[in-house]
Amino acid sequence: MNQLNTLCLAGLSAMLAGCVGVRYEPFETTGDAVQDGIRLAARAPQKDRVMWNYRTAAVALRSARFEDAKRLLDDCIGTIEGIYGPDKMAKSARTYVGKESSKTFIGEPYERVMAYFYRGILYWMDGEPDNARACFRSAQVHDADAEDNSYASDYVLLDYLDGYASAKLSTDGSDALKRARANTAQGPLPDYDKSANVLVFVEYGNGPIKVAAGQYRQKLRFREGHSPNQSAAISIASKTAQAEPLDDLYYQATTRGARVIDHILAGQAKFRRSTDKVGNAAIITGAILANQQGRKSSADEIGAGLLLFGLASKLISSATNPRADTRAWDNLPRYLSFAAFRVPPGEHELTAEFKDGAGQIRRKKTLSISLPAASKDVVVFVSDKMN
Amino acid sequence: MNMQMNSWSVALSLVLIGIGTGCQTGVRNPSGVGVTVLQPDEQGFVAGTGIESQDLVRVANKMSRGILGVPEINGVQGVPRVVLDPVINETRFPINKDIFLTRIRVALNSQAAGKVRFLARSRMQALEREREMKRKGQVTSSTDPNANAFKGADFFLTGKLQSLTTSTQRGKSDYILYSFQLIDANTSDIVWEDFDEIKKQGVVDAVYR
Repeated sequence: MNQLNTLCLAGLSAMLAGCVGVRYEPFETTGDAVQDGIRLAARAPQKDRVMWNYRTAAVALRSARFEDAKRLLDDCIGTIEGIYGPDKMAKSARTYVGKESSKTFIGEPYERVMAYFYRGILYWMDGEPDNARACFRSAQVHDADAEDNSYASDYVLLDYLDGYASAKLSTDGSDALKRARANTAQGPLPDYDKSANVLVFVEYGNGPIKVAAGQYRQKLRFREGHSPNQSAAISIASKTAQAEPLDDLYYQATTRGARVIDHILAGQAKFRRSTDKVGNAAIITGAILANQQGRKSSADEIGAGLLLFGLASKLISSATNPRADTRAWDNLPRYLSFAAFRVPPGEHELTAEFKDGAGQIRRKKTLSISLPAASKDVVVFVSDKMN
Repeated sequence: MNMQMNSWSVALSLVLIGIGTGCQTGVRNPSGVGVTVLQPDEQGFVAGTGIESQDLVRVANKMSRGILGVPEINGVQGVPRVVLDPVINETRFPINKDIFLTRIRVALNSQAAGKVRFLARSRMQALEREREMKRKGQVTSSTDPNANAFKGADFFLTGKLQSLTTSTQRGKSDYILYSFQLIDANTSDIVWEDFDEIKKQGVVDAVYR
């Protein structure tokens, strides 16, 4: 009996040892959100690097730290594009005792789409509309495998910008414009103005929030992020454009349908439920048998065996982890929009007014813009977030 | 005796489960992986379905061989001058557009020195500044600085990258068509054109689908 106790203790010690895992040193912020994000990414487990880089890239973009944003997004896109083939972390995430969150994080399709979307904006800022278009196309491809085909590749803005970049490059963008117009719920999209020289990318609201639902938190679900700003008005050189939401990330996140991993997690949850029930039944039956007869009777021995079997089954059940992965790019916007202006060269002030559902201005941002005489597009990114 | 054996088996199972769950640290290659030197024309163990170094090398080598066989380049008196016009990227992959033409130019310059010359149009700003300083006598000149010695192009070398993508829950397939042209700068004739095409597909692990 002593030996049995020792072995049980050894088992528990081994389990506890597994819980110690990675120990983090205290993190002191520097006040520079981009630098802090980069440092957090560096000390995060490899599987979470992309998540930190995503978040930091968004902060960098909103803080006009474009070189940092480019570097971080390129790193993320490199991981997204190289995810093919066998992967030990992914394999362990599929096992009964593995967690989905042990896989390398690349995000759900709407998160991957945003990585390409932001990188596309940065390429356009650098005067490379064809590479920007490549990013918008890749983004749309990441939304192409929705369960219901009618929701596949249905980002309005990505198609609209694909066509706009083509028009700017003096090629035909009419197909992409047609697709964008077919998908939009925001009235008719304007024709492309090839002479527009100020292109304004607008984002506002808060993106979807991932939650794990179900008995064992095995179902990935999305909650709406709080989005007081419902529209925006952009003004420059006495011209104003309404930047209504062309895409809604909450809508995109919730129209993808089931993932393959959802079926795996459902199987794990079923296994956990079954082993738990079997464990309960074995423990109860074992306890009854063990109490009904005298010591060292065969019923007592069977009862004790059943108790141990029940305990083992309960342990196996509790070791099964069907919890859905809720790691997220948590500083995304909810709405994406765009406006283009034709403005004479010189110094200008661009104003963005973010409005709530009643049309009241909730936030106002002003940017100084210098337009060169040469026919070069100036690309502006405006967010309702502080960074 | 049976009961004792069963207890031992169960307890051993507990230990194994404990160790099994305890070993999930989530760290891959904890002791790192040494640097591996690869040839640029071979596929590495980190690969995607996009444009990679082996594609660049394959396409650029094919195009440079093709250009050398063009009669307008190979069979004319004098040395034809070529200007590189940026490649048009219509794929879904952002790329450094200069890299294909740079690879072709370097291959031609190293393999067929003298048969064709490339004009450094991307350096015109620096070249004009240098000429201006020579004209003003600020720096010395071995030739007459007032003569217009900048050469005009006989040919433009350019290309286009286009792609088709199929995406399903299992993975992605990308076909890329690389086409390059040599255009006569005086007549706009396309004197040479060639293409290469590469198709790749990748299947992702089920946990990413």
